[in-house]
Amino acid sequence: MLSINKTIENGKADFALTGRMDTITAPEFEQALRQSLDGVSELTLDFAQLDYISSAGLRVLLAAQKAMTKQGKMKICNVNETIMEIFDVTGFSEILTIE
Amino acid sequence: MTIELKGRIDSGNAARIEQEILKQLESGDASCVILDAKELDYISSAGLRVILRLKKTYPDVRIRDVSSEVYEILDMTGFTEMMPVEKAYRTVSVEGCEEIGRGANGAIYRIDQDNVVKVYINADALEDIQHEREVAKLALILGIPTAISYDVVKVGDSYGSVFELLNASSFSRILATEPEKMDWCVKEYVHLLKTIHGTLVPEGKLPDMKQTVRGWAAFMRDYLPEELGKKLVAMVDAVPHSDYMIHGDYHTKNVMLQNDEVLLIDMDTLAVGHPIFELASMFNSFVGYSEYDHETIIKFQGFDFETGSTFWRKSLSAYLGTQNERKIREVEDKARIIGYTRMIRRSIRRGGLETEAGRAEIDFWKQRLLDLLEQYDTLLFSANELVLEAVLENLAEVQSFVEEHLEAADCPMKAKMQIGVAVEEIFVNIANYAYAPGRGNATVRVEVSEDPVTVTITFVDNGVPYDPMTKQDPDVTLSAAEREIGGLGIFMTKKIMDDISYEYKDGQNILKLKKKL
Repeated sequence: MLSINKTIENGKADFALTGRMDTITAPEFEQALRQSLDGVSELTLDFAQLDYISSAGLRVLLAAQKAMTKQGKMKICNVNETIMEIFDVTGFSEILTIE
Repeated sequence: MTIELKGRIDSGNAARIEQEILKQLESGDASCVILDAKELDYISSAGLRVILRLKKTYPDVRIRDVSSEVYEILDMTGFTEMMPVEKAYRTVSVEGCEEIGRGANGAIYRIDQDNVVKVYINADALEDIQHEREVAKLALILGIPTAISYDVVKVGDSYGSVFELLNASSFSRILATEPEKMDWCVKEYVHLLKTIHGTLVPEGKLPDMKQTVRGWAAFMRDYLPEELGKKLVAMVDAVPHSDYMIHGDYHTKNVMLQNDEVLLIDMDTLAVGHPIFELASMFNSFVGYSEYDHETIIKFQGFDFETGSTFWRKSLSAYLGTQNERKIREVEDKARIIGYTRMIRRSIRRGGLETEAGRAEIDFWKQRLLDLLEQYDTLLFSANELVLEAVLENLAEVQSFVEEHLEAADCPMKAKMQIGVAVEEIFVNIANYAYAPGRGNATVRVEVSEDPVTVTITFVDNGVPYDPMTKQDPDVTLSAAEREIGGLGIFMTKKIMDDISYEYKDGQNILKLKKKL
């Protein structure tokens, strides 16, 4: 289960994610992003309530990072320790902006 | 033939009494001579010689209902070793007493505030009583909380054994009168069940349940299509021998709460054997016997069919340590195979085929048994192994199955999530590639070993040979723009787990993931 709470205002998009981002739910997130990124120059992903991420989630993050590099910037905040470790071993902590 | 001995027998009247006895024996069936000593007060050596002569002509002579005084004489003179001598027993009436338990061989009544009596159905139950006392003692010594009888009494024409049981209430009664305690009862009931099944029994001390069940299966061969009858026997044969204890009649009337202590009673069915035999008898008690006619259970347990079914399901789930419906159903089905076999045999032996109602019930069970025999090839099960179709829709089920076992092992949150990632990567891989474009099953097994606590997760599939270890690691030092999307799953799994091993054997991909906790 993944619930996505998004607010978009003046080219700023905030996504607050709750639950699990896995093979089943990552495509939902990908679709939500795709529908919202037109004209967005600043994307913030709030991971405070995200418990779990698998490679399917990482794929979506990498695709989002690639897209946002072209049109602005992307950052992820409130990453818990366990997910941070996943970012570390996969080199994602180097390519993503994590606050 | 029973001959009554009365009053005193001594040199003064021995000869006359001998004549009387011989006269009686000539007039009746003397194949089994029982001397009833209920009213015998005294016997001298002259009287004993009468009995000795009698034994020469009628070797099967036995004496029963002997008073303590006369028993002492018979014991001193060696008569108790020469022939069966039964002591007279205290008489107890159970009229108007509350029935607190009922098993295959008898019923248990409360005779006063502190004592209960188990009355045996079999009129010649002394051997049964002796057996039950011995096994109850054995169980107690091996650490099973139980009550041991301290006296044997006569109840009408039957025998009974008396136990001390203070303020005790059966779990059946608790379930019937305090339904809100269902979950507590399940917990205690399963805890005791696991204690029983974890008790190793010295060789030869208890009967082997497998032999009994094999007998049931062999009986059924006359009533099943040849192939399935054979299969049933083969399935029982394939159950490995076990030296661990099973109770054999483990239902809620046989589990008592005495003050705060949970006690097991009705020990005469104690045996050794594989837990599936126990589960079969439990299924019958709570569901099987009343599956055709739901009213049956109320008479027996005091609670209704729904309560019985719920209790059974919850207990099985707790026993297996899983909420996984597929797993619970599989084990239940395997228990049902033996359960129906037993009920059909029992009904046939009691003349069930001779009445319309009996035939209807037998057909009802038999149809179910046939379906199950088509569906399953083994009675064995493992609580930590799940077999299911390798499709993405089953990912959540695999995840929660693995999680349950990790939680039972007190796995920390972080490791749980990491192992979850690895499990997802591997299962998704199998689902996407092993059988494409076809479909097939995957087996997921979770094992936890001690020193140091290590989790091993094994995946087995019959798909195309694929060793994920040969996949090249992605370069994790590249920039976002340079990095390819994808290819991270196996890499993460390798990073998360401490050890991964792969082999292809007998057409199966076997992948083992290990992580120390």
